[in-house]
Amino acid sequence: MHPATHPTASAPDGRTYRTPLLRRRLLRGLLAAVVALPLVGAAAACGDDAASDGKTKISIFWWGGEARAQLTEQALDLYTQKNPDVTFEKTWQANQGYFDKLATLTAGGNPPDLFQIDDNFLAEYAARNTTLDLKPYQDAGDLDTTKFPPSLLQYGVVDGKLAGLAAGENTQGLVYNKTLLDKNGLPEPTTGMSWEEHIAWAEQVSKKTGVPGTQDPSADYKAFWVWLRQQGKDLYTGSELGFTAEDVTRWFELWKGARDRGATPTPDVIHEGNATDITKQLVVTGKSATSWVWVNQMPELKKNTADELGVIAYPGDPSGQWARASMYWSVFRGSKNADAAVDVINFLANDPEAVKLLGTDRGLPSNLDLRRVVSDDTTDEAMKQSIAVETELAETFGESPQVPIKGHSKVRAELTKAGENAQYGRATPAEAAAQFVAACKAAIAS
Amino acid sequence: MALTTAPDPTRRDTGSVRPDATRRGTGRIRHGEGLAGYVFLSPWLIGLMGVTALPMLLSLYLSFTNYDILTPFSEVEWVGLANYERMFTSDPSWWHSVRVTLSFALIAVPLKLAAALGVALLLNRAWRGVGLFRGLFYLPSLLGGSVALAIVWVNMFNREGAFNSFLAVFGIQGRPWVNDPDWALETLMVLAIWQFGAPMVIFLAGLKQVPTELYEAASVDGAGRFRQFVNVTLPMLSPVIFFNLVLETINGFQGFTAAFVLSNGTGGPVDSTLMYTLNLYIAGFTDLEMGYASAMAWVFLVAIAVITAVFFGTGRFWVHYSDGEDR
Repeated sequence: MHPATHPTASAPDGRTYRTPLLRRRLLRGLLAAVVALPLVGAAAACGDDAASDGKTKISIFWWGGEARAQLTEQALDLYTQKNPDVTFEKTWQANQGYFDKLATLTAGGNPPDLFQIDDNFLAEYAARNTTLDLKPYQDAGDLDTTKFPPSLLQYGVVDGKLAGLAAGENTQGLVYNKTLLDKNGLPEPTTGMSWEEHIAWAEQVSKKTGVPGTQDPSADYKAFWVWLRQQGKDLYTGSELGFTAEDVTRWFELWKGARDRGATPTPDVIHEGNATDITKQLVVTGKSATSWVWVNQMPELKKNTADELGVIAYPGDPSGQWARASMYWSVFRGSKNADAAVDVINFLANDPEAVKLLGTDRGLPSNLDLRRVVSDDTTDEAMKQSIAVETELAETFGESPQVPIKGHSKVRAELTKAGENAQYGRATPAEAAAQFVAACKAAIAS
Repeated sequence: MALTTAPDPTRRDTGSVRPDATRRGTGRIRHGEGLAGYVFLSPWLIGLMGVTALPMLLSLYLSFTNYDILTPFSEVEWVGLANYERMFTSDPSWWHSVRVTLSFALIAVPLKLAAALGVALLLNRAWRGVGLFRGLFYLPSLLGGSVALAIVWVNMFNREGAFNSFLAVFGIQGRPWVNDPDWALETLMVLAIWQFGAPMVIFLAGLKQVPTELYEAASVDGAGRFRQFVNVTLPMLSPVIFFNLVLETINGFQGFTAAFVLSNGTGGPVDSTLMYTLNLYIAGFTDLEMGYASAMAWVFLVAIAVITAVFFGTGRFWVHYSDGEDR
């Protein structure tokens, strides 16, 4: 398939100039042109990079909304102000389709120097040697991580390499509708309630208010994961699954019980809650008294409801939760501007002005000193709340699990399918669990 | 792309043109104008090569590899028929998506054609305001596979959607159509059927071609409305029906956008809307198995080719060309 193996235009056959030959020559020429065109393009692209007048242009790509784009662009402009030789080629887009585009750019040999990535894909990219190992920079002091919580830093390590630096910290959060509970004289849930207690509480809420007490999270990998860790298991250990079909059966049965007791909405509403974006989470649309989300999503949820919201850890022992990188910054391994790109990451993580500018848009700032500054400065009530909860939980955080392995996105999809199979009553918990484990094994083996 | 694969039966060559004359004609043209012809063709030719032919060949090659899109081509590993073997022997979700797609096409396509023909018959009369109605019925298919339309559909067929409110007027308790694994695919079928405008317009054009003398003759012979429809309209329309059938079947198999939007790109709830092309997309871009996805694409291409060939094969028994020279 290499272009060079294609026949290219050969010297004209000097003897005859009869028309069929002319036609053949023309066709050959065209073919050669078609084959050569991409090469010309590639050569031109190389030329751009080689322009060495002391200026560096770093391409950077992230996902997010308008607000994040503005903040990020301001922070990058600030960097250019301080380092006039470095300019940016900024590209951003909504979450939908981001990874398709990143993969396509990478496949086309034109990946950005610097890109945002999450734990769904970090291992996928790192395992294929697409990300630069940041460890040498960290060792040399060019990437300052001394103020980072160790477990947050650890959550960017894949196969001993620092594949990405956490752009912010985040953890699982159970958000509940405080107004609804107060109105009905119901107690608020608290961190540390067992799963059984949570379901009993939810059942009580359903009965009293008519609003289902809790959104069934059995198809939701983040709840399953926390629960597993509380059972002394994990989602993955090494390159294997960290759980068995029996574990999954118990998990599915726990929630079947909850559904049977009326503690959750009906399966179609549960599905809607799982499939929807954050602005239509059930706690916001009033279809459930709680939603299983990430703590840093509080401000976004708050924007979409007039009710007062509270947030706590997921049920069970809170040490099942960990300092999760909401997303990372990674550098493309083949980047010609790798050093400069790493310096930009360092700047975004540790420069007081930049960190203040970025706020908690990508989660709590990873630099603990600056996190304190940002949390003192914020005026957004919901953001204050999420920072307070995360700070409180940070004291009980367990050790970070390994970054999800290659095939994780498939495992997530399979959990959704199996969980919903059980929710809609198309399979018993045990059947759904067996299917799920079999599908996972196939997914991570390939 | 599919459009170019199906020849328009309504324009079939009658075969009466003298072949020797044609050959002589082009032979003369070739000397003087051949070069100019190719030059004028070249933008299209380069497009065909660069955008269609080469990528297709590349994907054929990749279907025999473990290409995962992130790995450079040079490191791609040849795996022979492993992708194809996996598809047929050990991938239940592949088989599932085949079943979903087949049931979608088998139900939605005939109903869509029936709706198109039915409305075309109604709109073929010369009554006042018929033009407006033709436009209105055509409108949905102009929107085609648009994302906006799919979003509207999701909202209409929610539990709180307009459709259930409508049912409630009659005291009927609706369902959460799009969030119900038993009904999500059916909701998509209704969407596809509703977009019958394009085949309808083609049917209308076909109906205009039927000579009125035939109806007159039939009615003189005592044929009623129904007889006329069965013995005059349908045979005279058969090339158009054939054309629509082939096109709509190919379209039906390729249904992607609506399923993608409705399920947030997952094929859910519980894989009920996992259309073949959606499954292929997930394999390539979410699971990063581009080699496997390429293999799926080629199986798909061959399947559509076979189905189209079957249509052409059976067509000779029921497609009637009015010139009568080749049948």
